[in-house]
Amino acid sequence: MSGTDQAHTSTESGFDAGEVIIGHVSNSSLEHPILHLPTIFGVDFSITKHVLMLGIVATLVFVAITWTVRKYLKQENPVPSGFMTAIEAIVQFIRDSIVLPNVGKKYLNTWTPLILTFFFFIFAANAIGLVPIFDVIGAINRFIFGGSSQDNSFVNSLLHGSTTATGNYNVTAGLATITFFAIILAGSKAHGFINHWKNLAPSGLAWPIYIILIPIEVIGMFVRPFALTMRLAANMTGGHIAILAIVSFVFIFTGLFNSAFAGIGVGALVSVPLAVAISSLEIIVIIVQAYVFTMLSAVFIGMAINVHH
Amino acid sequence: MENLHYFGAAIGLGLVVFSAAFGIGKFTAAAAESIARQPEAADKITGAVNLPLFLLEGVAILAEVFILLIVLMK
Repeated sequence: MSGTDQAHTSTESGFDAGEVIIGHVSNSSLEHPILHLPTIFGVDFSITKHVLMLGIVATLVFVAITWTVRKYLKQENPVPSGFMTAIEAIVQFIRDSIVLPNVGKKYLNTWTPLILTFFFFIFAANAIGLVPIFDVIGAINRFIFGGSSQDNSFVNSLLHGSTTATGNYNVTAGLATITFFAIILAGSKAHGFINHWKNLAPSGLAWPIYIILIPIEVIGMFVRPFALTMRLAANMTGGHIAILAIVSFVFIFTGLFNSAFAGIGVGALVSVPLAVAISSLEIIVIIVQAYVFTMLSAVFIGMAINVHH
Repeated sequence: MENLHYFGAAIGLGLVVFSAAFGIGKFTAAAAESIARQPEAADKITGAVNLPLFLLEGVAILAEVFILLIVLMK
């Protein structure tokens, strides 16, 4: 799976749009990880770009939220200020308009923490993916400190792969697996373990219907987390591919007309305005996708608790 | 003839965009009409429209992923 023969237009300039784009939206390769760790039980624990981003996002969210909330709880008079105001508004919005209508009053406080964790983590991971931190570090290293682009230094190993951890299908599959087990746990808690599986299909129908209905419900059980996985990862990857493809026009046109002015002109007139527009669209997309993932998780958990048959 | 999969991917992408836009357009039109008819029920209508809208979007994104796989994997 490589995009080596994607860009026929730019072969003479040595710029391969397909390879560049794939290199910027996928994880960095396992052969050149950022940090080498030993293989335990046949699993390579080496830290690649997305694993690093997962760690950064998790640490950032944990420290920021926990520190702010602890500080707020220690106050004499409980009036939120600063960052706590934002957290409180988000928490209240998610509890009152995502979890409460779907899950119901009885299990509200059981499932709100999970949904909130999903929201803050996915939102932070999506948002950090839009910030070109490592590219700025690489540029400073190369142009101010005079680093080479060829050596295997630590800064250069940071430049491979994308910064959006949620753009990786394995990451979102992990998040969707949590939802998958949360659905089973929610149904088991509300109705008992055996009754949860009985609730999958409505009772009291003629028996031939069950031959069709039970397989459909079992497939549906696995399709829900699969759709969650695909939606989040594909949305994140798709936006980045669009931005990179538009920015690639600069280099494609430079190669096509063999002049730097063509590239600069296309960049100034087409690429930069379009890339700015799509980046601002991405700001909406990262919020909406975090919202969609949490809302669908809440809906699925609520469907296991409030069975409509 | 060896690059025919690009044709398939392009036609498929066009179909996906067309049908997703059609579906979202129908949703939004119906929601706007019903909110105009009953402005006090705007919250409920938005809530009812949201979930199918996201499911539709998920199907469209899924199709785009498979089209990307056609191009990348042949």
